[in-house]
Formats: sequence, structure tokens, C-alpha cells
Amino acid sequence: MNHGPRVRIPEPAPGADSISGSALALQPELLQSFMRLYGTLWSRGVLDHTSKEIARLRNARTVQCSYCKSVRFDQARKEGLSEERVSMIDHHYADSELDEREKLVIRYADAFLGNPGGDHQALIEAMETQFSQEQRVELTAALALFMGFSKIAVSVGGMPDSLPVTVVPTPGQEAS
Amino acid sequence: MPTTLPASWHQAFSLRPNLYQDFRQFYGLFWDRKLLDPVLMELLRLRIAQLHGCQAELGVRYQAALDAGLRESQLQELSCWHSSTAWQPLQRHCLNLAERFVMNPQRIRDEDTEPLRRQLGDAGLMSLLYLLAALDGFCRFQCLLGVQTSSSWTSPRTVATPSATRQSLY
Repeated sequence: MNHGPRVRIPEPAPGADSISGSALALQPELLQSFMRLYGTLWSRGVLDHTSKEIARLRNARTVQCSYCKSVRFDQARKEGLSEERVSMIDHHYADSELDEREKLVIRYADAFLGNPGGDHQALIEAMETQFSQEQRVELTAALALFMGFSKIAVSVGGMPDSLPVTVVPTPGQEAS
Repeated sequence: MPTTLPASWHQAFSLRPNLYQDFRQFYGLFWDRKLLDPVLMELLRLRIAQLHGCQAELGVRYQAALDAGLRESQLQELSCWHSSTAWQPLQRHCLNLAERFVMNPQRIRDEDTEPLRRQLGDAGLMSLLYLLAALDGFCRFQCLLGVQTSSSWTSPRTVATPSATRQSLY
């Protein structure tokens, strides 16, 4: 259910994007540091953009962050993650045309968001066949950041129930 | 190619050195800038670790919290904070918000945040939400990667306070 934001949103600077014009900017140093971390994750990483974008969108769907659900990062789109494929990241993903590696990312995201301390031995073994150690660490850190960002947005509130899909530049591209 | 991750999460995170460096800088800001009371931050870190069963986090105490007066005897009351009288109203409000944040942020209500906004201000409440995001996310990170240490809840070790300038997390 939509309601007003639970904090005062600062007056956005002229030309500010949706993030720097949000409640996150009430702590500018934290926001700047977070965005540096986020840029590194997206644009100076070892894991393909499609895998990270699938994890991000699965998280957005689970946490029910309407802002995160509406955003598409352009590098993943260029890699071939079309809107048709994005629509497969739903309850029925296991029977979809997503490839096995992409389905594995969704299973991993669900484990992270559900019960990360549970027994995921079979999943971890499957991950080891598809992803290097470095990629697994990056994907797990990515999920931590995606989830944290979404949960902050949900906690602050004030978002519409749905937003139009918007393709935006992948974070960190300007510094890569 | 070896697939078993190193035992410590710091070693594991170091497999992605630029990411780990930027994470340390972000995480260290909470303590470097004293964005919230060190005891409060420690209570939140440990309560979230309890919720996730994250032994690695439960096994350490940040020096800053001990310096600020946190006592080990207090922590015996942490898991039952709802019924305990050991905690101040601000701490209770924060612990309540932390639990809702971890379990399901859709269930956060105005009455969960408004007392905190009044006491901490808008910027302070945002600091709290940033911190909860970091603690929740990186507890899950440790649990799912299975890189927890063997530190035990009954014998916690004191570690240096995180800082944006340190080469390791603590």
C-alpha cells in the first residue's frame, strides 16, 4: 500500500538523478561511498552483467521494491537480457526458457533472500560448476547490496505501487 | 581450479579486492563519523547476527562499543530484548526496526519509524537504515558463502573498530 515517505526528502539539486534526489541523500557521505561501491560492483567486476541483473531483479521482486523492479541497467540489456527474458524471472522461472546458469542465479538469490544459513550444499555444488570463486563472492556481495538498497527504499516508503520500466546507464560506467 | 572458499570472510572477500576495499570504506564510515552510538551499533550488529545464526559475527566485539560502556552481561539479554528491562527506549525502538527490516520490511509501520525519526532526526534515521542494510546484507553474505570462522558465542574476541582507513575490516 502506498503512503508518504517516513523521512523528509531533501530538495534535489538541479539535474539530480532519482538516487541523489532521494532520502538516501540525507547522508551524503554514505551515499557517495555506497555509489562508489555500487559502481565498482557493476562496472569493475568479474561477473557478467546479465547474472547480476537477474539477481537484482529477483531481489526487487522478492522485497517488493517498485523502484528497483522498474529499473533496467543498459549493459545487461546489451548483453541480451530483453524484457521478454526479464518477465521469466518470476514464480515459474524453473520452467522458462532461461538457461541453466541463469536459473542457478535465481536459485542462489532465493537462498540468499530466504534462509542463507540453511543447508544449500547441492546448490553450492551446482554453483561451483558454473562460477569461479571470485564470481561467487561478487554475486553474493551484489545480492547484499541489492537487498540492502531495496529494503531501505521500502522502509522509507512513499513509492508508487508501480512505475514504468526505465533503462538507465549501468552504475560506474563513467569511471570504467 | 580450487572451489572451496577460504575460511574467513575477509579472505573470501579479498578475492574481489577492489570491491572489498570500497566496502571497507563504506562500512568504516559509521564508526569514523560516529553516525550512531557505538553501543547501539553493536547491539544491532549482534541482534542481526543472532537472527541469521551468524557465528562469525557473534564471535567478535568491536572495541568502540566496549570503550563506550557495553558490558558482556548486557548481551545475555539481547535475544530476549522484547521482555527484558535492560534496554533503553531508543535501543528498543532500534531493535524492533532491525527485526522488521531483516524479516520483512514491508511490515514496517509508521509507528516503528516515527519515534526514531523524532529522536534521531531524518538524517539519523537514514544512518540507521543504511547500517541495517549493511549488517543484514553482509551477515547473509557470510552465511551463504559458508566462510564463517569457528569463533564461539561463549568466548567472543575483541577486534579493532572498523575504519575506512584500515586495510582489513577489523
